[in-house]
Amino acid sequence: MSDTRFSTTEKDILQELMNIGFGQAAADLAQVIGLSIELSIPDIQLFKVCELSRHMAEKMAGEQEFSLVEQYFLGKFQGIALLALPARSGKKLVSLFGLQDQCNWSSENLEMLEKEAMIEVGNILIGACVGKITELLNDVVLFSPPRMMIQDVRDSILPNHLFAPGSLAISLKTVFHFERKKITGQLFLIANQDSIAWLKTALNTFMEQYE
Amino acid sequence: MTTLLIVDDSPIARQILRKCLPNDDDFTVLEACDGRDAIEKFRQFRPAITFMDMTMPVMDGFAAIAEIRRMNPQAVIIAATADVQPKARKRIADLGALMLLPKPVSPGSIRDALSRARVALEGETQG
Repeated sequence: MSDTRFSTTEKDILQELMNIGFGQAAADLAQVIGLSIELSIPDIQLFKVCELSRHMAEKMAGEQEFSLVEQYFLGKFQGIALLALPARSGKKLVSLFGLQDQCNWSSENLEMLEKEAMIEVGNILIGACVGKITELLNDVVLFSPPRMMIQDVRDSILPNHLFAPGSLAISLKTVFHFERKKITGQLFLIANQDSIAWLKTALNTFMEQYE
Repeated sequence: MTTLLIVDDSPIARQILRKCLPNDDDFTVLEACDGRDAIEKFRQFRPAITFMDMTMPVMDGFAAIAEIRRMNPQAVIIAATADVQPKARKRIADLGALMLLPKPVSPGSIRDALSRARVALEGETQG
């Protein structure tokens, strides 16, 4: 079995790449919605797949209901991206996309519009962030269509075909805040154990150009 | 000899920036790990050029630029940041930083930034 431990330097590289990736994602989204997004310092953690619920519970401490946008990314770097937004932020996001004039729609259609707004935010943030990180690491990933679930994020389980029970996963998390909208979201990129050996090599190759 | 101050909480980002500096120039390079550390180093060493990250713990780059520019309104500061949103660009410009340098930096982008910084420094000397 390959060494799955990350050195402090490897974690620092990953944190910087997540910072660059999310910076790019925020800029892409800001261009679409015309609103600035405050960034935070990313958090990197290795955990066992079977401990996902505990991992998420720790990360989401104090939060209640979430809407969750999920999207798979498949390449040498592969796993799942989870965008967690407060459950009732859909309405605010609809207004960001300039669709508030459609608020006289039926409640069913409005709910659909809110879901679409969240999915679009997820699609932009996840695509740009994962895309930038993998570009810097010389990988190309394919994305599944994003989909939304309304659930308690702490009950999430990872799909067996990507995450073998008992294996390790690495979580890259960043917290962000939409200015003036009082919406705080969290983006998790969770890569599977197959990615970890590749990731360690790719991170070291990335840094070789600066040594 | 030009004194540079590289401010970033990420040791990797500092290493990348340091390695992208042109080999044919003579620099003294100082490093700081957050805004507060940057202010202290700036007060102590008065670097000619400061590269400043914006998203940092303890004190972010926006507050640090404001404080440094209060100490020295002519301070030449380059914001080296992953936050390339229009609002961040405007805040950085309003604070009087010379320019925004998007991450990841490269030898080419650093060379261009240093050229602009030198022009600004020459302008100060002549003014």
